Order: sequence, then C-alpha cells, then structure tokens
Amino acid sequence: MEKTTAKTAKEKKSPEAQIKEAYITYLLEHGQAPASVFKFAKLLKMKEEDFYNYYNSFEGVESAIWTDIFGETKSRLDQDKTYIQYSVREKLLAFYFTWLEVLKSNRSYIQYSLQQIKEKKSLDPTVLKGFKSAFKQYAEELMSEGKETDEVVARPVISDRYADLLWMQAMFLLNFWQKDTSKGFERTDAAVEKAVNLFFDLIGKSALDSMLDFAKFIYQNK
Amino acid sequence: MGKEGVKEQGSIPTSKVQRAAKFISTGAKVGGNYVKHYTKKVFNPELSKDELHKDNANDIYNSLSELKGSALKVAQMMSMDKNMLPRAYQDKFVMAQYSAPPLSYPLVVKTFQQYFKQAPLDIFDTFTKNAVNAASIGQVHQATKGDQKLAVKIQYPGVASSVTSDLKLVRPFALRLLNMNEKELDHYMEEVEERLLEETDYKLEVERSMSISKACAHIPNLFFPNYYPELSAERVITMDWVEGLHLREWLKTDPSQEMRNQIGQALWDFYDHQVHTLMEVHADPHPGNFIIREDGSLGVIDFGCVKVMPESFYKGYFSLIKKDLLIKESELDQIFYDLEFISDKDTDKEKQFFKAIFKEMISLLGQPFHADEFDFSDDTYFKQIFDLGDRISNDKEFRKSKQARGSRHGLYINRTYFGLYNMLNEIGAKIKTTKPDWLKS
Repeated sequence: MEKTTAKTAKEKKSPEAQIKEAYITYLLEHGQAPASVFKFAKLLKMKEEDFYNYYNSFEGVESAIWTDIFGETKSRLDQDKTYIQYSVREKLLAFYFTWLEVLKSNRSYIQYSLQQIKEKKSLDPTVLKGFKSAFKQYAEELMSEGKETDEVVARPVISDRYADLLWMQAMFLLNFWQKDTSKGFERTDAAVEKAVNLFFDLIGKSALDSMLDFAKFIYQNK
Repeated sequence: MGKEGVKEQGSIPTSKVQRAAKFISTGAKVGGNYVKHYTKKVFNPELSKDELHKDNANDIYNSLSELKGSALKVAQMMSMDKNMLPRAYQDKFVMAQYSAPPLSYPLVVKTFQQYFKQAPLDIFDTFTKNAVNAASIGQVHQATKGDQKLAVKIQYPGVASSVTSDLKLVRPFALRLLNMNEKELDHYMEEVEERLLEETDYKLEVERSMSISKACAHIPNLFFPNYYPELSAERVITMDWVEGLHLREWLKTDPSQEMRNQIGQALWDFYDHQVHTLMEVHADPHPGNFIIREDGSLGVIDFGCVKVMPESFYKGYFSLIKKDLLIKESELDQIFYDLEFISDKDTDKEKQFFKAIFKEMISLLGQPFHADEFDFSDDTYFKQIFDLGDRISNDKEFRKSKQARGSRHGLYINRTYFGLYNMLNEIGAKIKTTKPDWLKS
C-alpha cells in the first residue's frame, strides 16, 4: 500500500509491508503468483520459515492486501473533519468514494485479484474474508447509527440483513468499477450515488411502512 | 408554475435498459391519452385538444425529469420552441428549467479532489453543503473566499458520456412529438448532439464566458460576473455570485414600465451585438440564465450554449428580415435554396407551397425589425405566431413532406430568437429594435 508503507518507511519497513509489496510487484511483473513460498522467500532474502511467521500462504498475503485497502479507506475518512458531521447516507457515500480512490491506486493488482476470484468461482472467496468481516462491522455501525438518526427503520427480520445487503452493494460497485471504461471512472461515481440513494430510500421510512401499519390496524379491528 | 408541483424523486433509473423502459412506458401512456381523448370525443365532439395536450405534457415531463441529463436538456429545448409545441406542453416543460435532483455532498468533495486535489473547504472559507440552485446538467453551490461571494457550478458525473445514448432514446419519441420525419430529425439531432457535448465542457464555457463578456462589456445596463479559470475544471466553474432576482421573481415585484424597457433593451442590445458583430451567440435565452440586479442592470450567468454562425448562413438568414421581403423573386429563391428550405427534390407544387409558408413565417417573425420600435408586450403578435405554428404543424401537405427543411444552423438561431422574443414578451418591454447598417432599407 502506497500510503501505509510511506508511513512506516521512516522507521524501517515492517516485514509484513515488505512481503506485501514484493508480492504485488512479483504478480504484476510475472502475471502469476510465485511458484512456491520457498522461491519467493529466497527472492526476499528471507528464510521460508520467517515468511510463515507472518503469513501462512500467498492467499494470506492477498487477503491482507484487501484488508489494508479497507483500513486505508477508514483512516482517510477519520482524518476528514467533515466526515463526522455527515448523515449516515453521506457517510456511506463518502466511504465508497474514498474506497474507490484507494482501489484506483492499486487497480492493476485488484484487476488481477478479481480475475483469480472469478476463475475459482467461489461465492465467498477466502481472499476477501478479512475485508468482508471488517466491512460488515462498519456497515453494522452505520446501520445502528442510522436507526438513532431515523434514517434507517427497524423492520422485523430484514433489518438484521441490511449489512449483508450493503456487502452485496459493495461487490456490485466493485464489479461496475472493474468494467467501467469511462474517463476517470465517472460512470462508477454515478452508480455509487444511485445505488446508495436507492438503498436508503428503501430502508428509510416509506409508503410501505404506512401500508403495513394500516393493514395491521384494519386486521386488528376486524 | 411553482416549485410545489415538483415531485420529489425517489430513485433515478440507472442503466440504459431502465432508461429505455422509462421512455417506452411514457410512450404507452401518451398513446393511452390519445385513446382516452378519442373515446371522450365520441361522446362530446366539442372537446378540445387542450386537455389531451395537457395529459401528454404531464406524462412526458414526469419521465423526462426523472432521466435528467441530456433528456432534460431536450425538454428545455422543446419548451423554448413555443411555436413547435402547443401551449400546454410548453407550460409544463418550463418547470424542467428549475428542478433536478441534487448531487450528494461527498460526491462534490470527490469532484473537487479529483480536479484540485483539495476539498471545497480547503479552497474556500465557506461552502454550502447543499446546492442552492439546480442547473440542467449540474448544480450551484455558494461559497465565500475572503469577502468575495462566489458561485460554484458542479456538473453531474457521466453527463458527457450519456449525451449520445440519451439522444438515441429521445429520438423515436421526438419523432412523434414534433411531427417530424426521420430524415428531418437526424439532420437536426447531429447539431443538437454537437451543442450538448460542448455544453458539458465547462472549460470551454469559462473561455467563452470570458471572451463574450469582454466583447459585450461596453453595452449599457448589462453585467457580467468575473470567472476564475484557476478554480474551474472540466466539471467545475467558479465565478462571482450575482446578487439579484430571477426574471419571474422580479416581475412579481411589479417593476415600472421604464424599468421593463431598460432591462428589455439591455437584453436586445446584448443579442444584437452578439449576432451581428461577434457572429457567435449565447443560444440559451431562458429566464433562468439571467439575474436582474438592484441597480437595474441585467446579469448574464450562463454561457453553456453558444452557437457560432458561418458567414454564408448569417447573410442568407438575416437578409430575410428585410421589410416586406423587398428582394427579387429569383434572389429569394436562391436564399431559400441556400438555407435548405427547398431543394431540387421538391416538386413544383411543393416548392410553391413551402415558399408561401416560409414567406408568411418570415414576414411575421421579422416584424419587430420592420419598425424602429416594437412593443413586445403585444400579445396579439405572439398569438399570431402560435396560430401560424399550429396551422403549419396541422397542415396535411406539411406533414406529408419527407424532406428535411431548414439549415441545421437555423435550429439554434431560431431557438435564440424565440427565447428572446418570449422573454421580452414576459418582461413586457418596448424595444428600440436596432439592426446592422446593411439591413436598413
């Protein structure tokens, strides 16, 4: 990660950062993962067993890179003074826009990684697991904040699944961005706006709630 | 037409398929309106078409306003050409000039970061989180820097890339609405596409705003804001905030006839200078683009649409406004040929028919130029124009013709003059209708 490594560069790069960086470089230069951990460790002038002190496999490295992207996004948001004042809807928008910015600076790697995920045809890829749980935790926080500010209406059964819906939304946007050919990924920006607005319009207080309430009332008064 | 009529938008159709579906459903509704109309008519033969037009305008407007972007521009454009559209359409479309759903603040921040590597609040001392005004393809925020009050216009993302596909969607629809045949339409669509793409280029707009304001600086009672190119980019324009009232608001304050004439005259002089001296013209004279300031001057705040006229078109077009067409028949024929009103593909009968129509139209539209002074508050004059437009668009001979009529350059120049006339009519101004020396007879 450009930013994260830059921060630690002053002291001395942590071995984790070194491994991640070297791994990305290797992937992009060779178009495939190193043949074995042994070879890769040798390249880094590191003992194989030392590698296992940090990661148990290449997948572990890849997973850490995805989680780092999320961490970088969060830390950029936290540094932004206006972020705290945002409504939940705006917070989610800001998250996506920042996330896409971070993704952009790693686009080649992301393209490669997504390609790998698609080839494996796994619905819940292990590489994304760390990122997914971090994202869902963040989404849960947003949703409970939304309930306080009345932007999100608690509904039986489905409101517990909002974080899952948001995860699907994030994956949709990632896909959209990956295929986006417009200048500066402008179409993705529009997609983010529309997707987030639709989501909040659906989970906010709407005609549906009044309808259910009304139906319940009629039923009870029969 | 007030804001209260504007329905808040729940969601915007996203993909091309959805947008297409939107158009199709509108088409179906319009079709339904016709069925409704003719069924009613069976029982009540006196029923006028006004109600039908009103139903149609409602459905069309509702769908267009949800699509935003270039579809909205087309709505605006159609709302200008009063002669092309029955009154009910036009009233409804005027609303399109005022409302469109806003961009979120995080996206505004992102847009700033993309172009200036800074957030709005790093550049300005204050910056409104919500838009204070909607422009057709963007929105306006108010900002301050030091004691300067600024207007920052930000364009919606992806507008430029959707212009072409939107126009394709509008096409079948416009065919039906405007009584045009396909050839005729494509002939103009190209021109519209070109202008719309230019309109999405804010850098170009800043350049043009600065050059036209400079060239028109000498005109009395006209005011131009300063532009800040260093704070502008492809999708951002920063300019001075112009304090004052929009035309409609100003008219509600019941200004004196003297003031009306002064504002109207400034408007006329502005266009007169652009058309006859600069040969490039601010081709979007709708009320939203002007601000009336407290000192009685007219502020021009939007240069999105500028039409540059080729010399040959200019000469032909404006020689037509000479009084009573004091030109020889053969000369007139040549001009009609040059402006593509008639062509060799027409039969003699068609030529005669169209020549007669265009002569009538031109002498009517040229009327303000024929005297030294013209009273634009005269509603009977405008009624005549609408009646002629209605008559022509309902004429069988006219609709039968499969030929494209009129130069594509005329499209925006016509629009400019209709817009100008309409605004002067609304203002109710009496104008000294100046014209260049070569047109004085």
